[in-house]
Amino acid sequence: MTDSHPVLELPLDRFYDALRHLWVQPTFDTGRVVVGIDAVGLEYIGDLAYIQCAPRGTHVHRGEPMGSLEAAKMTDILSAPISGQIITVNEAVIRNPSLVNRDPYGNGWLAEFSPECWDKESVQLISGSRIGEYGQRETERLHSANPVR
Amino acid sequence: MNLRLIEEDGVNASVGLAADETLARRVGDGSSLPTLRLYTYRSSAALVGRFQSVENEIHLGFCHDNGVAVNRRPTGGGALLMGEDQLGIALTLPGRSDEGYSRARELMELFSVGLVNALAAMGVGASFRRKNDLEVSGRKIAGLGMYRDISGGLLFHASLLLDMDIALMLSVLNTPFEKISDKEIRHVGERLTTLRREAGSGLLLDEVRPEVAASYVRLMGADVRPGDFTPEERRAIGELERSKYQTDRWIYQTVPVPDTVGTSRVKTPAGMIEFTVCLAGEMIKCVHVTGDFFASEESLADLEGSLRWHSSARWKLEGTLRAFYANHGDAFGGVGIEYILAGLGQAINRSLLKAARTASDPYGCFVNPGEAHVPA
Repeated sequence: MTDSHPVLELPLDRFYDALRHLWVQPTFDTGRVVVGIDAVGLEYIGDLAYIQCAPRGTHVHRGEPMGSLEAAKMTDILSAPISGQIITVNEAVIRNPSLVNRDPYGNGWLAEFSPECWDKESVQLISGSRIGEYGQRETERLHSANPVR
Repeated sequence: MNLRLIEEDGVNASVGLAADETLARRVGDGSSLPTLRLYTYRSSAALVGRFQSVENEIHLGFCHDNGVAVNRRPTGGGALLMGEDQLGIALTLPGRSDEGYSRARELMELFSVGLVNALAAMGVGASFRRKNDLEVSGRKIAGLGMYRDISGGLLFHASLLLDMDIALMLSVLNTPFEKISDKEIRHVGERLTTLRREAGSGLLLDEVRPEVAASYVRLMGADVRPGDFTPEERRAIGELERSKYQTDRWIYQTVPVPDTVGTSRVKTPAGMIEFTVCLAGEMIKCVHVTGDFFASEESLADLEGSLRWHSSARWKLEGTLRAFYANHGDAFGGVGIEYILAGLGQAINRSLLKAARTASDPYGCFVNPGEAHVPA
């Protein structure tokens, strides 16, 4: 079945939160991480209309809301993939959420964090050789579900 | 599962919204029972969606002069006019705060099935469209929304149109139409429908409520018990009403995504077609298609419905239009897809140009202080 569906683009140079469909990319020279929505999440939610992010300086724990979004297919909270302090919010995306759909791994990043439990939490994220399995599994799941018009 | 059923009428807007959110939080943390509320608002209340701007969506002067309450929902979607002829359906269920998007979509579809089944029991065939509309032959009969609380509690909300005073609706809600004439009233009237129109003009609210309740009970296999708010819930609702739903900070907040309208006219072999496109940023909020060409109102309503909350990217529009043409055949009397694409494209470009011109002050209240930059 999946042979007929292209596997979703998931660059290998970052980590993925498979539950929340967010990517996390460490910046080793600053010790910070950048967070965005991955291709799987965008398949589920569709084109974004609005995004709200918690303000700079906010501390969040992994799994807690860091914002909310409204998209073509749903409205939902945006949960933090890691614990830490929000250092920067991508204002360009707040003003033009379509940037996330156009360039999810580049200019469509959401926020930059100073992580507080990176060593412990990064092992709960998907990275390296497991990224391919994640993409394959989610592609199958997406195409097996009843599509919403 | 035990499901509490609460029925109310004439609910004040700020109380009703605070009750929805309070129950979502309390059901999520286990301090309240899962609850189905079937209620009406006190006529009339104009409720914008979570991210909308009141100034853009509502004629505030009219509302002020005519005692129409104005507030903001915790759920997404467009602005609504609620009152004694629109049934609010609020289902609050426990969930988990770490559930992903896929689960939320599944639950939203399940919630829509409950309402579709209830309408079927009343002889009305409705279907779910995109994220938040229930339609009968392309005409909207209910709007749906979902809110997830930090506790994991889920609120599913629907507004079911038993009836609608379209002239009042057009006086309250801002539309791209320059004036409100019989033509505009007819145009909007052809894009939505009501339960009374579909199932009989004598249908009473008290006949609808049991059908809706029974449908959700069947769907969820729940044991339903009529009930009321507890004193503790009433206190919590009152506190949230005062701290949020009665405050200008919540109601009149703005978003930095610009709302713009663009229009175009395209001459086709079948006649002139006029397009009006409303954008939120680059997202199509709504499209209106009029003109002197031949097309059934049902096809036009269906086309407009398929473009609500749709990307304005040409390749995505083309995909949707090709699927529409495949289903509708020659619905537009020989007007080819290229004319529709050209008209939409021109209206979208004009709308985006307006957005670019008004982008000089990009800061709304959601914008965080600090310089934007792309991290290395």
